Amino acid sequence: MAAIVDVEGLTKSYGGERGIVDVSFQLEEGEVFGFLGPNGAGKTTTIRLLMALLRADAGVARIAGLDCSRDSLAIKQLVGYAPCELSLDPDLTGGQILEYLGHRRGGVDQSYLLQLIERLDLDPTRKFRQYSQGNKRKVILVQALMHRPRVVILDEPTSGLDPLNQHEFGRLVDELGREGRSVFLSSHVLSEVEQWCSRVAIIREGHIVRVGDVAEVKDIKRYEITIVFAAPVPAEVFERLDGVVRAETTAGGHGLRLTMHGTADAVIKAAAQYPVISISSHEPSLEDIFLRYYEVDGRAVREATRVV
Amino acid sequence: MWYSSIFLRTLRSYRVAIAGWGIGMGLVVLQPLAAASTVVGTAAGRASLTQVASAFAFNAAPVALGTVAGYATWKVGVFMLIMAVWPLLAASRTLRGEEERGSLDVLLSVPRPRACVALEKLAAMWTALLAMAAMIGLIVFVGSRSFNPGFRLGDALLFGLDLALVCAVFGGLALLISQFTLDRRQAAGGTGALLLVFVVLDSVHRLFPGTEWVSRLSPVYYYNLSKPLVTSYGTSVGGMFVMLALTLVLSGAAVWLFTRRDVGGVVPLPGWLKLPRPAAPRGRALPVDDWSLRGVYLRSLAMIAVPTFWWTVGIAGFAAFMVVGVAQVEKTISGMATTGSVIKTVVEKVGGGDVQTNATLLSAIFALLPVLLMAFAVTQVSRWSADEEEGRLELVLSTPQPRQRVLLGRFAALITATLTIGVLTLAASAVAAAAVGLKLNGGNLAAATLGIIPMGLLVAAIGYLASGWLHAAVDTGLVSFLIAIWFFISLVGPELQWPEAILRLSAFYYYGTPLVQGLQVTSVLGLVVVSVLALGAGLWRFAGKDIAR
Repeated sequence: MAAIVDVEGLTKSYGGERGIVDVSFQLEEGEVFGFLGPNGAGKTTTIRLLMALLRADAGVARIAGLDCSRDSLAIKQLVGYAPCELSLDPDLTGGQILEYLGHRRGGVDQSYLLQLIERLDLDPTRKFRQYSQGNKRKVILVQALMHRPRVVILDEPTSGLDPLNQHEFGRLVDELGREGRSVFLSSHVLSEVEQWCSRVAIIREGHIVRVGDVAEVKDIKRYEITIVFAAPVPAEVFERLDGVVRAETTAGGHGLRLTMHGTADAVIKAAAQYPVISISSHEPSLEDIFLRYYEVDGRAVREATRVV
Repeated sequence: MWYSSIFLRTLRSYRVAIAGWGIGMGLVVLQPLAAASTVVGTAAGRASLTQVASAFAFNAAPVALGTVAGYATWKVGVFMLIMAVWPLLAASRTLRGEEERGSLDVLLSVPRPRACVALEKLAAMWTALLAMAAMIGLIVFVGSRSFNPGFRLGDALLFGLDLALVCAVFGGLALLISQFTLDRRQAAGGTGALLLVFVVLDSVHRLFPGTEWVSRLSPVYYYNLSKPLVTSYGTSVGGMFVMLALTLVLSGAAVWLFTRRDVGGVVPLPGWLKLPRPAAPRGRALPVDDWSLRGVYLRSLAMIAVPTFWWTVGIAGFAAFMVVGVAQVEKTISGMATTGSVIKTVVEKVGGGDVQTNATLLSAIFALLPVLLMAFAVTQVSRWSADEEEGRLELVLSTPQPRQRVLLGRFAALITATLTIGVLTLAASAVAAAAVGLKLNGGNLAAATLGIIPMGLLVAAIGYLASGWLHAAVDTGLVSFLIAIWFFISLVGPELQWPEAILRLSAFYYYGTPLVQGLQVTSVLGLVVVSVLALGAGLWRFAGKDIAR
């Protein structure tokens, strides 16, 4: 397949401050591509360069073979864009915003627009200033999709959405993929990228540290299990179990915090041997993963920086 | 230290304003003190000035005009109230502005009563006003020593305090109005309109005998009760007390309402005060036929419509009111003009032109019209810069249209607005002149009212150009400063006989006195050319710059 988005050596700095450095990746036509990174990593900078809102210091970005800087008008006819920030005229209603941007774009099918509004459960009669964060996000998402763009660029699209709407949004992304549209989706939530995307790039401190299939990213996914026991338990029993990367005791030996990689089957069975008060599991943030996986282990950083 | 309390943090954010307004207003008073000797240096000059000043009573009551301090107090008159713009902006921003940004939620999450947060912010504003007052007093006192003005340091400080008190009233008013609006700009605009209304109300009793009860409704009346620099007149403790009481009542009411309403919401109005809102059925609510959504120009026009309406009411109303006021004194002035050449010179210094025409008097007042339109342009420059800085242009710029079209659409709407203001000001002035029987040259009246349009557009074009590099606040400050400097040059330059080259640096030089001398085509064309060049450079910059956020 041909690359619909082709980024080569893209570099941008803000005066003395870092932006992105030598960022390169390709997005194939019809692909749902995740762009992962912690806050401040350079995701938004990269996306705003694609949208010609920023001018690159070096490198080139192309969408459908067109130069993002020189041919930005032609590119904007192909692209639907949802920025991360929720800044729009606060005195307009959601409906007015959608109509205004629809007139600016042209080619908006009103029935499809109403369908999107319905699916995301948006009330278009309220003023933008009166919306909650989630409803503001819905307006931003609807305007990005309403003209059925060939390429959809979404910057942290689920931020502020409730789980029901996140689920509906996931279905929309699936549909876009099935229709052969290309989706470039930035996020700092590993699980949603894992769920919706076929390939992923990871950016950190302005550098791309990894590009590859989602399965490869799963390699770095870890999670934590915290178990509280009625009596102290020996941590070394758990350290040796399958899937356990690290085990540490807390609360005077009554608690156990396990860093996991893989299934929790062995841990659950071992814990059942002791009187358990509570058990909880949580996914660490991407930032945690980066800190632990790429910084603590210097060797891993070097390995990870190769693009696969 | 500056971050140890809300009071200090807020006060710190006012430090530039304190210095700017304090020094600026101090210099404004110093200028007529310096120039007074050329006007009141002779007995004939003093006598003539006394007669002329009574005709210019709309500006200020003439008191002890034969003295340096009396002349300066009369000359700065109503212009000093421009300082009230700062507290009305600051007070609109202090709670409502933070609510708009969402930062007040965080501030109110600390274990501190809501009233304390509001009072600390209010106290910072009052402290800033007192600091400005002290700076004005000190500059006036120290700067005027060589002119032997006859007042002491205490008098100069009381002069600053009087100004600070009337400013605090308008700050309290803005804070109160902001409890009823969701947008800080509405609160600032409403208070600005009331400021204009109160200035006019105050002048009514000086123009129309027996109307003092009307003027008592205006806080400006109580400000004018004191003339601390004129030692024979002194300070009205009662007047100051009324302003202090008004400040406390308005601010207290604002804080009381703030503690009882939802953060991010407004004080609910009684049902009979609410405008009826048509219920739009869901699903059919998309405004497909809304004309204002069909293009950047039309959208910009819709955005600017309400402020344009209020600024038109203010500017056109001011012009019409002054036409009526001048008609009242026309006969007096005409009679005085025949008494000697000194009076003629004095009137010319104030207004410029031939005293035999009504236009001479009106010309002096109409010099304020371009200032008002420029102030309107500054508000629009500020809105453009803020829209870009806060990311509100991001989605429009992600649609397939050139960036230049977005900027030109906004600027075209501003041109339409300034044209509307200019034309309606002409119409209001002409109607008022016809109604009171004041004879004016129609062509010159058109030149004076429509001539303000290129002045407003010049400021707008420079502001749009500067927004290509500067943050919104700095951009707004820059164009405001530019207007102040231009006005200062045009005010001080001729009296102090500055070189022509310096006078030409001011845009007001090119506006001239069109009511007296007619349209100066070359000057107007010069302004238009500079505006077009600035706009062209602004377009070039905007097309290539990083869109800020």
